[in-house]
Amino acid sequence: MMTYELAAIFLGSALRLAAPLLLAATGELVSQKSGVLNTSVEGMMLTGAFLSAYGSWLTGSPTLGLLIAMIGIIPLSLLQAFLSITLRSNQLVTGIGINILALGGTTLAYREIFGARSNMIVPGLDKWTPFGLGHGTLIGDTIFNQVWLVYLGLVILILTGIILRYTTLGIAINAVGTAPRAVDQSGLSVAKIRYGAVLFSGIMSAAAGSLISIGDIHTFTEGMTNGIGFLVIAAIIFGNWKIGRTTLACLLFGAASSLQFQLPLLNIHVPTALLIVLPYLLALLAVAGLIGRQTAPTALTQPYQRS
Amino acid sequence: MNTAYYSLWLQSSQLRTAIILTSAVLFSVLCALALIATAGVPITTALTAFAEGAWGSPYVIGASINRSLVFALVGMGFILADRANLTNVGAEGQIAVGGIVATAVSLYSGCAHLPDGLSYGIPMLAATLAGALWGSIAGVLKAKVGTNEVISTLLLSFIAVWVLYGCVQSEALLKQPMTDGAALPESLPIPDSTQIPNIFISSGFGLHLGLIITIILALILLVTMKYSRFGLRLSAVGLNPQAAKRAGMQVASTIIIALAISGAFGGLAGALMLQGDQQSLKAGFSSGYGFDGMVVGLLARGSISGVFIAALLFGFLRSGGINMEMVAQVPSAIVLVVQGVIILTLAGTSIWLSGSGAKK
Repeated sequence: MMTYELAAIFLGSALRLAAPLLLAATGELVSQKSGVLNTSVEGMMLTGAFLSAYGSWLTGSPTLGLLIAMIGIIPLSLLQAFLSITLRSNQLVTGIGINILALGGTTLAYREIFGARSNMIVPGLDKWTPFGLGHGTLIGDTIFNQVWLVYLGLVILILTGIILRYTTLGIAINAVGTAPRAVDQSGLSVAKIRYGAVLFSGIMSAAAGSLISIGDIHTFTEGMTNGIGFLVIAAIIFGNWKIGRTTLACLLFGAASSLQFQLPLLNIHVPTALLIVLPYLLALLAVAGLIGRQTAPTALTQPYQRS
Repeated sequence: MNTAYYSLWLQSSQLRTAIILTSAVLFSVLCALALIATAGVPITTALTAFAEGAWGSPYVIGASINRSLVFALVGMGFILADRANLTNVGAEGQIAVGGIVATAVSLYSGCAHLPDGLSYGIPMLAATLAGALWGSIAGVLKAKVGTNEVISTLLLSFIAVWVLYGCVQSEALLKQPMTDGAALPESLPIPDSTQIPNIFISSGFGLHLGLIITIILALILLVTMKYSRFGLRLSAVGLNPQAAKRAGMQVASTIIIALAISGAFGGLAGALMLQGDQQSLKAGFSSGYGFDGMVVGLLARGSISGVFIAALLFGFLRSGGINMEMVAQVPSAIVLVVQGVIILTLAGTSIWLSGSGAKK
């Protein structure tokens, strides 16, 4: 039976699992809006997860760990930006390269630093129930008792939505992803806007990765992002490159992941693979035009060359 | 060197391509050596292990070449689609689909009792067709709805990889029946008669029949792309679909067929991995081979001989890397890092390459 308690636990865990998706999707959406399909979001999340765990272990402060991850991701973001924007490389290939590099690099560094002390627990980010919201009650303790970074992520998500929609910067980002030549001719720099977008995407990915390592299980494990970065891309496709729908997609995917743990409790047995494959299937149906019309930014994956 | 000579060198595009590619590979090798040194393993120990694993005996040479065939097939599929300006990034999924179908047909269709040739040929053919079907989904979406094939092949890839995961997790599908509670999530081993037979057995190379099939397919592809009307149609659609349409060409069907054939190569690669090498289907069975194959296709810059050179490079690199980990205790993560560096270096140098491929 689905009791009140189980429902609350389900919602809480759905939000917890959706949170890394939401953070990374905020950045990835801006990057894709500007025309760069940043497939290295997976590798950037993994790098962020590692750097924050390492930073937290090194300094004893998870907040500093988060900061180290967000700063440490910058060189990798710049590499992605330099290759795909300045050198006009195939964005997918650079993404694949960075993902492999991140998987190898973090694994190597982890073994080098932690060695036998694998899966060592490091200090994690604090949980917070906003404004004492139902503190002590079931709802407060299960749904709203999340790591503070989740709330910060929601604020950034809303701000990003407002900026994309109502500001000149937002209009410029949209324009770069749909008509880069027109933007160039109007005197704005296509490259600068895209660099900024990729950098933002990298920093948000690092924060998302931190949420997985020091926000959730307080340790780092090799390859721990395990494809979540690609789920982020699927969420954006399913969300039709709109921030509201992308947010809903992230929550939906979070709920689908959460079902893996909830359904057995209710004695319902659905193959895990089916639940994992569901988000990708929904995204595919969306791009197939079966769930409304999809409109990707027209210049997505297209490098821009001044002529 | 005389500057006149130097500029002449740079004008020769093939030579320039060769120089840039060689420098990129050399740069990656230097990175690898630096990493090995920092990992505290003596360079000579590591390199000896690498060489032994990659080409130390006839048997390992054969194993490296068998591995290269998978990369070569995926690479060929990639350049065929690329000719029509289509980027198939779904090889990973097409390999998975091929592996699933090859396993299912080998185990449950009675193929094992068919006469020689059919017993392993039918699963291979079924896997190829399944790959073609999987690839054609992206083709239909592109032709009918205008879906970016990069996005659809990527999503299809993830779907296939998780379907594979589901297949080996479920006893109703391909998971081997539980024996004593601890059965691994993998399929039963396929019968001997459905495995791709070895050729040149007395030579000790352990090469399988896939080598001959791959070479024949390469020749067919070469002739098709160079001399056939279909090859012309691919290039026309790739260069300017509007003009191709005005010239009366079937643009939609060309796109669908191109992605179907590209997927077929991936499906066959999956059959080769399963029936030629692994014998039972496991969840991580296709891990990374599809993406490596795509990079091989990209490196080749539209040339089939280029596919073979790059595929051999990746095949020997993988074999050597595996042995380097086992024998010299060099973490396999180093091999990943080196591969990442190779891919990024080559991607980064792509604008200076003027190869024959229809690159933008």
